[in-house]
Amino acid sequence: MTLMSREGSNPQIYRLLDEWNANHELQIRATLVPQRDFMTKFGVSLAGGVVPDLVAIDLIYVPRFTSIGQLIDITDIVQAMPFADSLVPSHMRLSSWQGKNYGLPFAVEASFLLYNKQLFRAAGLDPERAPLNWEEIYDYAQRINAVGPDTFGFYFSGACGGCAIFTLAPLIWASGGDIADEAFTTSSIDSAEVRAALQFYRRMWDAGFVPPGAVVDGGENFTAAFLTGKIGMIASGAFVIEQLETNYSHLDYGVALLPGQHGGAASFAGGDVIAIPKKAKYVEEAREFLHWFAERDVQERNYAAFRVLPVRLDLAGHPAYANPAMQVALETLRIGRTPMTPKYNDLIGDLNGPWSLLIQQAIFGDDMQQAIEDADRRFQEIMDE
Amino acid sequence: MDDGDRLNLDSGGVTQMATLGLRTISTVKLRWLFAFFLALAFLFPIVWSLLNSFKTSAGASAVPTSYWPEEWSLENYGAIWSYGRGLAVYTWNSLVLAVLTVFGTVVLSMLGGYGFARFEFPGRNVLFFLCLLPMLVPYQTILTPLFVIATRLEIHNSLLGLSLVYILFQLPFSLFLMRNTFESVPKELEEAAVMDGCGHIGILRHITFSIVKPGLITVALFAFINSWNEFFAALLFLNSEDSFTLPIVLATIRAGQLGQVDWGALQAGVIVSIVPCMLLFLILQRHYIEGLTGGAVKE
Amino acid sequence: MNEKTSAGRSVAPWRASRKLIGFLFVLPSVVFVLVMLVTPLCLTIWMSLHKWPLFGEIEFAGWRNYSKVLADVQFWKSLWFTTEYTLTVTPLILGTAFCLALLVKGGYRNVGLFRTAYFLPVVIGFAASSLLWVWMLNDQLGIVNRILLDLGIIDAPVVWLGRKSTALLSINLSIVWKVVGLSMIILLSGMQAISREIIEAASIDGAGSLRRITHITVPMIRRSIALVLVITVVGSYLAFDHFYIMTRGGPQNETITAVYWIFTNSFTYFKMGYGAALSMILLVMLLVLSVAQIRLLEKNQHG
Repeated sequence: MTLMSREGSNPQIYRLLDEWNANHELQIRATLVPQRDFMTKFGVSLAGGVVPDLVAIDLIYVPRFTSIGQLIDITDIVQAMPFADSLVPSHMRLSSWQGKNYGLPFAVEASFLLYNKQLFRAAGLDPERAPLNWEEIYDYAQRINAVGPDTFGFYFSGACGGCAIFTLAPLIWASGGDIADEAFTTSSIDSAEVRAALQFYRRMWDAGFVPPGAVVDGGENFTAAFLTGKIGMIASGAFVIEQLETNYSHLDYGVALLPGQHGGAASFAGGDVIAIPKKAKYVEEAREFLHWFAERDVQERNYAAFRVLPVRLDLAGHPAYANPAMQVALETLRIGRTPMTPKYNDLIGDLNGPWSLLIQQAIFGDDMQQAIEDADRRFQEIMDE
Repeated sequence: MDDGDRLNLDSGGVTQMATLGLRTISTVKLRWLFAFFLALAFLFPIVWSLLNSFKTSAGASAVPTSYWPEEWSLENYGAIWSYGRGLAVYTWNSLVLAVLTVFGTVVLSMLGGYGFARFEFPGRNVLFFLCLLPMLVPYQTILTPLFVIATRLEIHNSLLGLSLVYILFQLPFSLFLMRNTFESVPKELEEAAVMDGCGHIGILRHITFSIVKPGLITVALFAFINSWNEFFAALLFLNSEDSFTLPIVLATIRAGQLGQVDWGALQAGVIVSIVPCMLLFLILQRHYIEGLTGGAVKE
Repeated sequence: MNEKTSAGRSVAPWRASRKLIGFLFVLPSVVFVLVMLVTPLCLTIWMSLHKWPLFGEIEFAGWRNYSKVLADVQFWKSLWFTTEYTLTVTPLILGTAFCLALLVKGGYRNVGLFRTAYFLPVVIGFAASSLLWVWMLNDQLGIVNRILLDLGIIDAPVVWLGRKSTALLSINLSIVWKVVGLSMIILLSGMQAISREIIEAASIDGAGSLRRITHITVPMIRRSIALVLVITVVGSYLAFDHFYIMTRGGPQNETITAVYWIFTNSFTYFKMGYGAALSMILLVMLLVLSVAQIRLLEKNQHG
């Protein structure tokens, strides 16, 4: 049977499949699709009636499919799991619809603040004390920028709506605001908190704390940028920890929660959910896979052993997660929020949609207020459709 | 004076002018120099990519980039060789797909080109125009309906089904070229074949292997190139990674891990996708030039 | 039409069977196009008359999609941008191809090699070309900035794709690089067909090179120029890959072409009906444009 997933976000897939294939009769083959085209490929496949047996979808897109009944109900599988309560809450919430469950967390992470301790020291900052509000971030960035001609205090991907929601939204949330109401029926783009967050980023951009190339970065470069060792702080996720521990162990890094304007903390919970499309051929075996992969030992062998966050928080005590960075990452999973709406792609994911456009126009353009109003209007239009 | 091919009509005139004095000789030299540096500029991107593909992975991502590889390495090619199901599988798929496309395009355009060129029948112009229509249709537009039709016929996840799509979009150019090529075949040749008592297919075969071969080779070359490089239809149509083609895999390499691009591997991928087309082109060049010049335009 | 030389055979039945034979020869292609293009196209037209999301309820909408198109600001922006782009890049390609054709017409050594070099980019795919250029134009590790910096032409790395002006410049450059070889060959073949006598007569008459080019060469290769114009204009209106890969429609959605917008509606928003309506409008425009171009240029030839 087949498992379809997007490329790049699920390093544990091959390991899991190898283990399954070694112990089960029905083999699973993985089909990895380019990240940017995943929704298109999956959507068109569904429409053509050609579906994989298992699919790992970015959790933010799951409501789109559950709301039109394209995934199979697996409430009974969830209820049979004794550890169901410790499955990562955001993923479970986004894969539910009208009281039923349709998916399980498959790849999990949430956003946090990643910083370079060596640059902190060089800038005269205490490497164990992360910034707790925006003024401190600005101040730290300024000092780090002054360390050398090619060091920068901060980084963000300027042409990527998905990245911005992962990294900027928590700043808005921690300040008490949001981009829309919980049910996503009313836009609150034109609000004080959103404006403040955009202005904060803009200040840092105008002050030169961010490398010029960030304006065209569509999400391909934010990890690489930090790994050069020239960036002071960046909002990132747990997926980078493995790299830092193995290939880039010369970088002394720290991890902290993303703060709000005056304190507080928030995080965006992301990753993939695994589900079974309707019309899948091997439904029984697919269900068995869902039972199987969340088992304690399977999780320990394939996730924990490789410093990948587990899909169930009751495994947080595993020694592999003892690393302080991993501890913070687990904390972000607990507090992580995720916007839930079937219109996610149209609003936020689309590279040419209102959210992506807002980021570009507000931070790099001439008229922030106009950009905010336009985005707010467009958000509302889409929500009303 | 030159390669001995047809495209140096001017040599006579220039020799005349050259005898007029030093000044005109250096005009030729200047032209040569200009053309030479321009050629270098044109080749530069490809050569640069080739060079970078032999850097180490770290070297290819280094900032600032070095002109010459500090350390030569095959690790980029190694990285893409074992990617996913293995480069060999994807290359094979691309090859099979290309061969199918070439075959279909050549057969259809040969028959059609001959028919449109040499015969008059009612509705000829209308039908010809119909066959040119695919050129005007935004390609992505009909992909979904095509996909839906293909799934009904159960040919969607096959290279054969995909090749049909490619043939469709190659037809306008190919038919146009073949029609013009046939039109420029001297009538005497055809009449000679007729007098020899050949049937129509015989006439065709007679003419084909003498005059229009260059045109056919051109058609085949373009069909191969376009099939080899196409991404989107392949992405939509092919479901199992076993049947994925090179462009799809290259897109995943480009996307890289979250937030990182393996530039070295990307260059290796680009080179791998370019090399077959370039080689084919260089090998078939003589025929191809004749094909285009003989077939592209009739003044 | 061939006159039959074998005595005694009447012409008429042969002619009739010739019509049939001709028809049979073109039949495979015609049938193929009918099945593979016309059928999906009819389905597309049908879709454009419906609200047709990729999943979900399909409802008949009559002309509603088309009237929505009229109000669709982004579509008209995209169309305008695509037109701007076509008007810029077409003369560039035509002019460069013409100069290159003159350059490699012959008369010195290695001209065949140069021809090959200019044509080589044509055989690589649009995706590979876009990737190549994105990489070369990267502000940190791109070779363009490196060379310009080393030569002292710029002081600091330029983010080429970060502003509309430089982004367009970059895209135009990459496209010209990629396609000019084909146009060059087409023009070259036309030039080559000009009979030698005319050229020699002109040079004997004392016409200088420039005069010769403008008054003789250009008019005589009209048909080649027409071909180049048509494929360039159509190709530019349908431009997609380079914008999808290099600028992603940015910065700030300023480089979204018409087909890009159609693609977004159909494959990101999954609004297949609306995307179909947009496609039909574009198709009709291209039809009119192409026919007009051909008519105009044919008329000039005889006029």
